[in-house]
Amino acid sequence: MLRMYRGLLQLYPAAYRREFMEEMLRVFEQAQKDLVGLPFTARAAFYVREIAGLLAGAAHQHLATILEVDFCPVRSRDMKPQYRFPRSTVGLMLVILAGVLLAIEQAKGIQVKYAPGGHVSAVWSTLPQFATWVLALVCLAGFAGWAILFALGRSGVQRLSNLSTEVVAEIKR
Amino acid sequence: MKALPLSEPVLLVLLSLSDRPRHGYSILKDVEQISRGRVVLSTGTLYGALHRLLAQAWIERYGQGDGSRDSRAYRLTSRGRQNLQWEIARMKDLARLASLRLAHKEA
Repeated sequence: MLRMYRGLLQLYPAAYRREFMEEMLRVFEQAQKDLVGLPFTARAAFYVREIAGLLAGAAHQHLATILEVDFCPVRSRDMKPQYRFPRSTVGLMLVILAGVLLAIEQAKGIQVKYAPGGHVSAVWSTLPQFATWVLALVCLAGFAGWAILFALGRSGVQRLSNLSTEVVAEIKR
Repeated sequence: MKALPLSEPVLLVLLSLSDRPRHGYSILKDVEQISRGRVVLSTGTLYGALHRLLAQAWIERYGQGDGSRDSRAYRLTSRGRQNLQWEIARMKDLARLASLRLAHKEA
């Protein structure tokens, strides 16, 4: 297990590894010793937690280095409500997708009825794949937009804009 | 200045270091103890938090006399202690407000 842990640590940026790798290995070894005598579920939970922690930590360190944005800051997030991606949007998107699929199903019957010779080339078999791609692209675009707004929010652009509004109001008074 | 709440791992790590300097393993165990087993940090999460706190100069390394990385301990800086005190004051204020509101509702 220690070998696997060491392997996962390789996912971290080199500078981070230089600073913390030996120390993390040592702490992991000590924590692993505490597992002796514990039930299988507790040991499994420990390993799952450790692996998830390393994967998330490595991804975070790389993103923080590349984007220069700390996604897990010391303080909780200060996102403006207008920058938040509401969870209800996912539900709304699914409802819209269901509506579109229902409309297509209804249209299919109409097409068959009025098509010359009663023959229509079937598109239904490729539709789920197409719809999945469209949904994935929409989600990706949404996430990219959210990330840009998040980065702007974190960089203080919003606060500067508020500040300038306040200054203008002060001058007008 | 409007101080935002600290994230829970950070708060617990700071609390753990508030009485004395500790090594990584000691922090891990102490966080579990002070949260009564509710929060069990992984080493990845712990060192992520320590990395950020070192970058903010809220904690510092302590006792590296022999130069060994294994013997590294961490301790709060005055800046870290001040931020922890602000956070505790904020939580106290919130708890007081919540108690008042609940008492008002029950009356």
